[in-house]
Amino acid sequence: MTHVIEARDLTVAYHESPVLWDLDIDIVEGRATAIVGPNGAGKSTLLKAILGLVPIAAGTTRVFNASMQQVRQRVAYVPQRGSVDWDFPTDALDVVLMGRYGRLGWFRRPGRSDRDIAQECLDRVGMGSFANRQISQLSGGQQQRVFLARALAQQADLYLMDEPFVGVDAVTERAIVQLLHDVRDSGKTVVAVHHDLESVREYFDDVVLLNVGLIAAGPVAEVFTEDNLRRTYHGPTRPDMDRPGAPARAGSEMVPVEALLR
Amino acid sequence: MTERPTISSRWRTRALIGVPAILLTWAAFRPPDSNSRDEDKFTVVATTGQVGDVARQIGRDHVNVTTLMGPGVDPHLFKASESNVIDLIEADLILYSGIHLEGNLAEVLEQAEKQIPTTAVTEGIPEADLIMPLDDSFYGNPDPHFWFDPTLWTMATDQVAEAFAMADPANAEEYRANAEEYKVEVMALDAWAAERFVDVPEQSRILVTAHDAFGYLGRRYGLEVAGLQGISTSSEAGVRDVQNIADLITANEVKAIFVESSVPRRTIEAVQVAVADRGWNVAIGDALYSDALGDADTPEGTWLGMMRYNIDTIVSGLTGEDHTT
Amino acid sequence: MMAIIPLALFGLDVSWDATLRNVILGSVILGMTSGMVGSFAVLRRQSLIGDALAHAALPGICLAFMVTGTRSTEVLLIGGALSGLLGTAVLLVINRWSIISMETALGVVLSVFFGFGILLLTRVQHGGDAAQSGLDRFIFGQAATILPRDVTIMLVVAVIVLGVLAACFKELKVLTFDPLFAASIGVSPPLVGALLSALLVLTIMIGLQTVGVILMVSLLIAPAVAARQWTSSLAGMVLLSGFFGLVAGVSGSVASSLIDRLPTGPMIVIAATVIVALSLLFAPERGVLSTWRSRRTRAEHFRTILAAADHHGVSSR
Repeated sequence: MTHVIEARDLTVAYHESPVLWDLDIDIVEGRATAIVGPNGAGKSTLLKAILGLVPIAAGTTRVFNASMQQVRQRVAYVPQRGSVDWDFPTDALDVVLMGRYGRLGWFRRPGRSDRDIAQECLDRVGMGSFANRQISQLSGGQQQRVFLARALAQQADLYLMDEPFVGVDAVTERAIVQLLHDVRDSGKTVVAVHHDLESVREYFDDVVLLNVGLIAAGPVAEVFTEDNLRRTYHGPTRPDMDRPGAPARAGSEMVPVEALLR
Repeated sequence: MTERPTISSRWRTRALIGVPAILLTWAAFRPPDSNSRDEDKFTVVATTGQVGDVARQIGRDHVNVTTLMGPGVDPHLFKASESNVIDLIEADLILYSGIHLEGNLAEVLEQAEKQIPTTAVTEGIPEADLIMPLDDSFYGNPDPHFWFDPTLWTMATDQVAEAFAMADPANAEEYRANAEEYKVEVMALDAWAAERFVDVPEQSRILVTAHDAFGYLGRRYGLEVAGLQGISTSSEAGVRDVQNIADLITANEVKAIFVESSVPRRTIEAVQVAVADRGWNVAIGDALYSDALGDADTPEGTWLGMMRYNIDTIVSGLTGEDHTT
Repeated sequence: MMAIIPLALFGLDVSWDATLRNVILGSVILGMTSGMVGSFAVLRRQSLIGDALAHAALPGICLAFMVTGTRSTEVLLIGGALSGLLGTAVLLVINRWSIISMETALGVVLSVFFGFGILLLTRVQHGGDAAQSGLDRFIFGQAATILPRDVTIMLVVAVIVLGVLAACFKELKVLTFDPLFAASIGVSPPLVGALLSALLVLTIMIGLQTVGVILMVSLLIAPAVAARQWTSSLAGMVLLSGFFGLVAGVSGSVASSLIDRLPTGPMIVIAATVIVALSLLFAPERGVLSTWRSRRTRAEHFRTILAAADHHGVSSR
């Protein structure tokens, strides 16, 4: 069982209070892992920390047993759809083409083969005929699929996705899930910050329960329990967070746990 | 339980109280600045260098003259700084040029006038003697560069003498006598200037500068004066203005154009390029003094010296005697 | 080349001499460059960064004069560029290490630097050096006095700026669209952001003589905003923006040559503004007129359908 991502003592803090605290996480290769937790739990930050996009206060992360700089071309990142201004003057194919930039380096232009790959990826996500459509005219689900196509165009071994199912219609959601499973089945690794607890069992193999600190991690069947969820979403403190300076963060969801597991 | 003050905290308290106290005392009783007044001199604050010069010529040992605007300063744009305002407030008499020359000082002078005798040296000059520009180049006001006409300069001299006489009646006779002496020198310069301009051929009597400051000089000595911008240097030239001047220079075969000390050289260079394009060649004459005098310790630091320099420079430029490109 | 253009342009009394040629050349170079560089600033929602940097150049110009005593434009502009770059560095530092927003940071840099510049300018005015003036020209520009050597400098700078733009186009594109993704593939936002700021500073340097510190920002923003209304690709927008800048440069210069006492810099800015206004109103799909028209058509369409439905008795009754 190879670990694609290994985080040790990972701590990220922007100002006074930490956003991620002392995380020890291993992500297993060839599986689909969900990252789950309440708002403000640091889920997006975890992805960014792995990618080296935010400064790390303490601890380490290794990807493919190397530093991120060395393996960048093997990692595809899909940021939240809302982090981008979709009124940008460009079309769907062009966005997917950006997925090829990582391999080109400075000064080189994308070529014929890059364009072909981009079109193929658009086809795979069912957006082939939208290649020249302005991205401002796409629906939420279509935009998400374009982002996914861009990730596919990177031909990566590891896919890090931030809330890929938010604001997406049911049909698109099913299509994306199918695609993610195909990617996983071909031996790649998928890690996604996921917002919908109901679908975790169905979509993912492993889960990481996060609330600034690590609550639990492992296969869904073992780890995704009522007890763990309560601790993730309700618990004011975790037992091993009782040390000087440790944050006492209350869960922000007040929904009964049973409702979450329906 | 109160702690006994330690040595260091005692000194800290003393410093906190003592230092400001010392400073305040010093500020209140400090000796006056180097601009200090003698008991038998009164303080005059003049706005422009020219006004300051005539004040010195008439007041001589009886006055301390402070000039607000140094050499090369543009009086149209000059804004009073805090130290300027302090100087004005501490003056016994304020003299300014007038006719809206010191555009940005109007308010300050208005305020000062409430407490201190303030006179425009141009007060006594009849409206009819002033030049009204044909275009709108000074917002409907007359041309303020009166000092280039020696006859008007003598009127200003009288104005200053009277102002001094009123401020210091004890020495009134002396001021008037000094004024008469000075006026003789001024008119002597006037005669000399007229002689100099005889050397310039009729058709070359066109004075082109980047600034319409020399209207009075032109009127007095028979020169046509053309400028790029309006009288106030705060306006920006347009392409058409540059072209017009180039046309004028080429048509009249003017040999030299002049740069004043308070105007960008670029503007003049642009005119040169335009003229060259029309097949003529015009030299850039030495800098002229348009709105101010020269440095204080040079001959051009006085009105007489400045006029002599300006007229020599203009004449040699227009006759082609002395070319500096 | 310009000599073959007929003397009467559309029947207007335009005098095609060296002055007008130089001014047009300079304005065209400036318009094109600032239009293209400005496109990125506008898309990054950092339009005002150009404003802040332009204002930040003033103290550098004054200091360059105070230190060297020269009135040579090149030296003064280098001074302006240096303090503009310093302003950029300060912005980056504030952005990275402080929680205050970019807008606030821009406002701070703009005010502090410009205020300092005015302070220096006032000091220079009060000084005894009789050759000091001309510095305040940089505040409003003096487009009518563009000399051949100015055109040369502007051309060199423009070539550098546009060369870098072309070479790094895709990096700029991905950074502007999706900075997070860009960072993940190794296009470092701070680095490329700094590069863009440097290009902005260089562009502003050539603009200072033409339109001055205060109006410079309009040449960065207006052509880009106008171009956005007409095009749907980034390359298209950048090129069209450059074209609009060019047109504004030519129109403003020519207009200023038609009437006396019409300052050239402001005329160029007015031309650019007219282009923006027309684009916002009349562009297909995004323009105000077009949106209004399509809304009306749709409303009519729906009314027709509903009337037909009523008529045929298709209702809940």
